[in-house]
Amino acid sequence: MSGFTDRADAALADPILKIAVERTTGTAEAKRAIAVDAFPDFEAARTRAAAIKDHVIAHLGAYLEQFEASAIASGAQVHWAQTADEACRIVIDICKAAGARTVARSKSMLGEEIGLPHALEEAGIVRVETDLAEHIIQLADERPSHIIWPAMHKTREQVSALFRAKHANPHEEETIAAMAQSARRELRGAMLGADVGISGANFLIADSGAVCTVTNEGNAELSLVPPRVHIVTAGIEKIVPSMPHAIHMLRMLARSATGAALTQYTTFYTGPKRAGDRDGPEQMHIVLVDNGRTKMREEGLAEMLRCIRCGACMNHCVVFRQIGGHAYGGTYPGPMGAVLTPALDGLAPNRDLAHACTLNGKCQEVCPVKIPLPTLLKGWREKSWREGLEPTSMRWGLGFWAWVARRPALYRLGTAVAIRAIRLIGRKGWIDSLPLASGWTKHRDLPKPAARSFMAQYQQEQRK
Amino acid sequence: MTARNAILARLKGPKPIASEAASLLDAPERPAVDASALEAEFLARLALPSVNASHDRIASLADLPAAIARYLTDQQEPLTLCCPPDPRLTACDWSAFTLHADAAPDEGATLAIARRGVAETGSLIFETSPIAPMLPNFLTLHHIVLLAIRDISPHLEDAPPPGPQPRAHYWITGVSGTTDIEGTYVRGAHGPRFLHVILLQE
Repeated sequence: MSGFTDRADAALADPILKIAVERTTGTAEAKRAIAVDAFPDFEAARTRAAAIKDHVIAHLGAYLEQFEASAIASGAQVHWAQTADEACRIVIDICKAAGARTVARSKSMLGEEIGLPHALEEAGIVRVETDLAEHIIQLADERPSHIIWPAMHKTREQVSALFRAKHANPHEEETIAAMAQSARRELRGAMLGADVGISGANFLIADSGAVCTVTNEGNAELSLVPPRVHIVTAGIEKIVPSMPHAIHMLRMLARSATGAALTQYTTFYTGPKRAGDRDGPEQMHIVLVDNGRTKMREEGLAEMLRCIRCGACMNHCVVFRQIGGHAYGGTYPGPMGAVLTPALDGLAPNRDLAHACTLNGKCQEVCPVKIPLPTLLKGWREKSWREGLEPTSMRWGLGFWAWVARRPALYRLGTAVAIRAIRLIGRKGWIDSLPLASGWTKHRDLPKPAARSFMAQYQQEQRK
Repeated sequence: MTARNAILARLKGPKPIASEAASLLDAPERPAVDASALEAEFLARLALPSVNASHDRIASLADLPAAIARYLTDQQEPLTLCCPPDPRLTACDWSAFTLHADAAPDEGATLAIARRGVAETGSLIFETSPIAPMLPNFLTLHHIVLLAIRDISPHLEDAPPPGPQPRAHYWITGVSGTTDIEGTYVRGAHGPRFLHVILLQE
């Protein structure tokens, strides 16, 4: 049994998880729908957003060089990392050179992807996660389960218990507002006392060298302005040509992620503190991280580099809403994670992810940059088949099916027998257990087959 | 080979054509804004639950201290204010206030001057400079923002300053909020819990 199957089984058996995931994804889905309806021609805006990203990906090298030159001109230092380890090493070296003991981190999925929290711990540097959800999972010693709401898997009751156990001055009232205040009290001093602030980037602006972050909490600014050093770790695909391009993407990002017209705080950082400035870091470092992205671009996954990490695909995914994010096993969950994780961590241990998909197409419909996620997932299924990674039972089963399917008379005979047999098992219109398919019927029922098959009805119509 | 050269070697391709990048922005889809009623459009966005800001109106800059005193008194807060070292504010009579330039970790009220307001989203636009620190605007509980009505523009494309970019250019669209616990909205997560905009008419 693979890791994914075990994790999905555990998730399905957890009734609290289902409630927690449904509460947040349900709200996100409803709010996005309202925002999209209110926007003039969201469909055309999606097409434009995809075209902007495709243009950047086609000219990625030139835009990266332009960004690098602009950022250096603004006084920032630019570093390049081919792998996750290399990126972490660069960050740790900068921290050590700055004599840093404490870093404040503003939520960054790229940071999670490269294993930065772990690397900081190994280097003996105290890490303060300042996003409320990241703070929750840091206290719980867990990993993010969603890219926008990393603590989505936690109910208010669980968060309350955690804060009461870990906060110096926890909430008294049993409300979500009081819990948020408890975190505010706990984190403010830590943010102001940090030596280094670390963030990701939502966008890198090629022509100005600016790094854009968006938050609703304002924790990015509170984490990045007071420390002496600001380090940005960003995937190389985060580039946009100019500010107006970023503005179009920002309109898409907020609406797709939370249903808002814009995040509360949108900041463009261009270099370190200037002469006479009253605040801001003395050094700004930008680490441009490849970690498999150039390979994705070369090997048929260029469309995945359009992704702006809004999370809409997972909020609308019937599988994600059943199992939550942790079951996926990688940094990125849901449909985008099922495409990215095999590229980042290898196909062999992650071949199940492409199968954890009904191909209902909902993720592609809501994607603000029109990534053909079902097609990319089918690509992984095919690759897994070609490379012989599918289990023997699957290979034999499909081989047998293919052999029969090429013999229409035999196929019709077989299905006629099978349908009659299945009908015998069904009760009240549903089948709740099926020989050889218990993996399917364990968590869901199949509808009983119709009284007569489509082919039988079709032939009868033809005879009339 | 350095990491830089190794990455760029794999990304070799044609130079982007500036006109191609620009053509991607021909007539972008965006919320409609009535350019003849920018103030009303801006105030409508400011009042949305997602932005959650209050506002007041003054005829001239000399009325600013009285408007801030009115707001803070309503909020049952002392007349203590973190005030940026902006020469435009020195002409005002601040005798009723205790002023300071650097924000305390638990700052109560901070004044800032927005360079621009954006009607599309109700955003307030700021830049850092020697007379405009950034941190006080995030540490404070009550964020009080002065905005001249003539500086309200229709769209986000009007927000960025022309020419070389400042150290930080930032858009504030509401109060600090979070939906990290069960997707439920809470205001005053890490930064300001209250945003009050004072519109200057002159």
